[in-house]
Amino acid sequence: MRELCEQAVTAALGAGADYADARVVVRRAQVVGTRNGRVERLDDAETEGIGVRVLVGGAWGFACDRRLDNAGAEAAAAKAVAFAKAAPGGHSRELASVAPARGEFRTPVERDPFDVSVADKVALCLRAEEALAHEDVKVTSASVRAQKEHKVFVSSEGASVEQEFVECGGGIDALAARDGVTQIRSYPSAHGGSSSQAGWEYVEGLGLEREAPRVGEQAAALLRADACPSGITTVVIDAEQMALQVHESVGHPTELDRIYGTEAAYAGTSFVKPGDLGSLRYGSEHMNITADSTTPGGLGTFGFDDEGVAAAREPVVGGGILSGFLTSRETAARIGSGSGGSMRADSWSRMPLVRMTNLHLEPGEGSLDELIAGVDEGVFLQTNKSWSIDDKRLNFQFGTQIAWEIKGGRLGRMLRDATYTGQTPVFWGSLDAVAGPDEWKLHGLTNCGKGQPGQHAHVSHGASPARLRNVQVGFK
Amino acid sequence: MSALDLAARALRAAEGDEAQALVQSERSGMARFAGSEVHQPTLIENEVVELQVVRDGRLGIASGNRTDDDGLRVLAARAAEAADSAPADPDFPGLAAPADAPTVEGYDEQAAELGAEDQARLAAAAIDASDLDLYGFFTSGVTEVAVTSTAGVAVSQELTDVAVLALAAVDGASGYAEQTGWRAADVDPAAAAREAAEKAGLTRGASELEPGSYAAVLEAPAFAELLAYFSYDAFGALGLIEERSFAFDKLEQQVFDERFSLADDALDPRGLPKAFDFEGVPKQRVQLVDNGVLQGVVWDRVTAMRAGDGHETTGHAPPSSIRHWGPLPFALSVGGGEADSPEQLAEAVGDGIYVTRLHYLSVVDPREGIVTGMTRDGTFRIRGGKVADPLVNLRFTVSVPQLLAELHGLTRERVLVNQNAYYDDRYPTGLLSPALATARFDVTGTGSGPGV
Repeated sequence: MRELCEQAVTAALGAGADYADARVVVRRAQVVGTRNGRVERLDDAETEGIGVRVLVGGAWGFACDRRLDNAGAEAAAAKAVAFAKAAPGGHSRELASVAPARGEFRTPVERDPFDVSVADKVALCLRAEEALAHEDVKVTSASVRAQKEHKVFVSSEGASVEQEFVECGGGIDALAARDGVTQIRSYPSAHGGSSSQAGWEYVEGLGLEREAPRVGEQAAALLRADACPSGITTVVIDAEQMALQVHESVGHPTELDRIYGTEAAYAGTSFVKPGDLGSLRYGSEHMNITADSTTPGGLGTFGFDDEGVAAAREPVVGGGILSGFLTSRETAARIGSGSGGSMRADSWSRMPLVRMTNLHLEPGEGSLDELIAGVDEGVFLQTNKSWSIDDKRLNFQFGTQIAWEIKGGRLGRMLRDATYTGQTPVFWGSLDAVAGPDEWKLHGLTNCGKGQPGQHAHVSHGASPARLRNVQVGFK
Repeated sequence: MSALDLAARALRAAEGDEAQALVQSERSGMARFAGSEVHQPTLIENEVVELQVVRDGRLGIASGNRTDDDGLRVLAARAAEAADSAPADPDFPGLAAPADAPTVEGYDEQAAELGAEDQARLAAAAIDASDLDLYGFFTSGVTEVAVTSTAGVAVSQELTDVAVLALAAVDGASGYAEQTGWRAADVDPAAAAREAAEKAGLTRGASELEPGSYAAVLEAPAFAELLAYFSYDAFGALGLIEERSFAFDKLEQQVFDERFSLADDALDPRGLPKAFDFEGVPKQRVQLVDNGVLQGVVWDRVTAMRAGDGHETTGHAPPSSIRHWGPLPFALSVGGGEADSPEQLAEAVGDGIYVTRLHYLSVVDPREGIVTGMTRDGTFRIRGGKVADPLVNLRFTVSVPQLLAELHGLTRERVLVNQNAYYDDRYPTGLLSPALATARFDVTGTGSGPGV
């Protein structure tokens, strides 16, 4: 694989590239899913190929080939250079200087997930599903996933990196329906569960069977719960929903390529401007956000990104002040700060983009109970159900699967159909407490979309439950 | 080697009592631009083989893109291993029987011949036609889908698709236009860019709007996206069976304005035609709504067998990677109305809002058909029946059934709106939609202004 990358880079330089890099990726991804007691998904997909990225006279070019042989490497290089020459840019592009990366990275794994038989995975899903059962639950589902990716990166600047990533995850859902009302509960996260860069031990640790009875009962109980009233109130938001809040309202708006407009036509831009670094008040003093591609278990953890930049831990928001961006070598050079480290591609057939790695809301202090105890009247919101945010990442509206009324510092009746909405800096400015390290959890999601052609990124977010004042709950 | 030949080779490598091979190939190029420069040019060639094998009544599926003999042998072994590990599925309907696929259009030699230089040239044509910075892409691709099985299915289809997306934008102003088709001649990048730039010029000085219920005109791209989000939950058989669909207890009922009719029609040459689904079953036109009456949903063989009661597949089996979504209507086609233009719809509205495009939709309640999202790149007040002053981007949270029940009208002309975000394997889909005017569009907040 390394030789193929070197051959592609050599071919690209020979064809006129000023800079070239090549990535060979071999990936196996497996999903086992059951639904209402039957196997619904048994996907086992392997894909492999080489992607070559070049700079020619300031213009990027990217092409790929599924053949892992000399012909494939040289064809991808030639096509990438040809495309760059066909679409010349209007200005030169610089890449932030980095020392040529040399090294290896391998996910620490206790048990290789592909050593676990499909039969055992099916059996786990079916047992978890069975434990979700309730007379009002119409649909039970469970899924587990595993992925192994072998990646080699070589650049014309001398970088040469080999990495192997292993991911696992799983989740359960119960959909209840009665009298025209449907409600869903999920564990450990909505939208397919949660994943980690780890071995099968992560899935075993989720305790899907253990949690299933509670999930099924809550789905059924939601059918009879009152709808969450609308109004401006104090909210306590659980760690999983805070993870998504961080993702949508901090992660994407601090991607420097978005800020420079390269995603304008699709995912959008950002309310944050390059000149805001070090001065923009993003939130209250309790808001501390860190980008950390070294987090153990994070889906965005690596030795080196897809430009060969070494993993690092960097502040993005410190004490409520914007203190960093997520960058590529190109955008870092443009702003004159940093050296990239957030470039990731979702396969061999896609060009790397600035993506989140692991972006965390750093913990504060105290427990969830203490956060709730500090609320005279409010709502506790748990587990994402719907999500939407505008193209500059200002106005957002999230819905949660379940909520509880808070009165006098204690949880009260269960509520359904809760939503909350806000403007990003105003919302984060109302943050008055984040629970401590004991409540901090890492959530891994695999469906972050960006780019054209579209790319899915796998990212993780650590968060503790948080309390925010004067938040608009409900949309009516 | 054709996709059908490759599928036949994969089938021969299969180790099972029965087997089906699906091949999807792609050759595409996308010249993506921002700030009037190509910044993400991507050329893709790939060929994916999916093998389903049945062993002792148990189904195993595996896919891969190694198509040499060794690659197919490994693929067959993985599919067999998966089958041996799976429990027998009482709902497995067996492999599809062979049937004559309809003859459809959808392949254009001129589109198929577009290469990297053409894609760059056509992107440049769009960029040069805009007097504002342009963001978006030009893309074209050739895809081939083939299905063979031991039951005798042997079908294949080559498809072409071309699309241009143009966002003309500067600080404080932005306008949007897009064109999609399967013929190269269906798309005029320069015209799309000019339309986007003209729209952008009208958006400067956008003001806020009080939340509330407004009459509204939705241009075709806006209506199409809203309808797609609603329809994927409402008009698929799995959602119906599982009681989470809006359609669950409303079949044969008049639930929408009688001027609203909706079909899923992959055979229509004005869309992006398909002859068969991912099991090789012939595509059928399915009337979903007829003059406001909810008529039905789309089915595949799995859901039809599970539902019983005489249901049959309509040719909507999804690829196995999204099997958990069930059969979905990916070729929606809305009946046209009487209005000559969106501007004429604005006249009918009198006072309200005008929406070009939507952003980041999310289903809040699938059973009630409640969807939230934002407007962008061309939102205006309608005053005195005219498109008037620009507005900032609006947060809306609407009941789509209510919106469709209180229609002011639809345009006669329908536009093919691209539904492909080009994730994973390319498979062109589009929605044939008119512009729509409704008496009820619920604005629940405001967001950022137009522009980058």
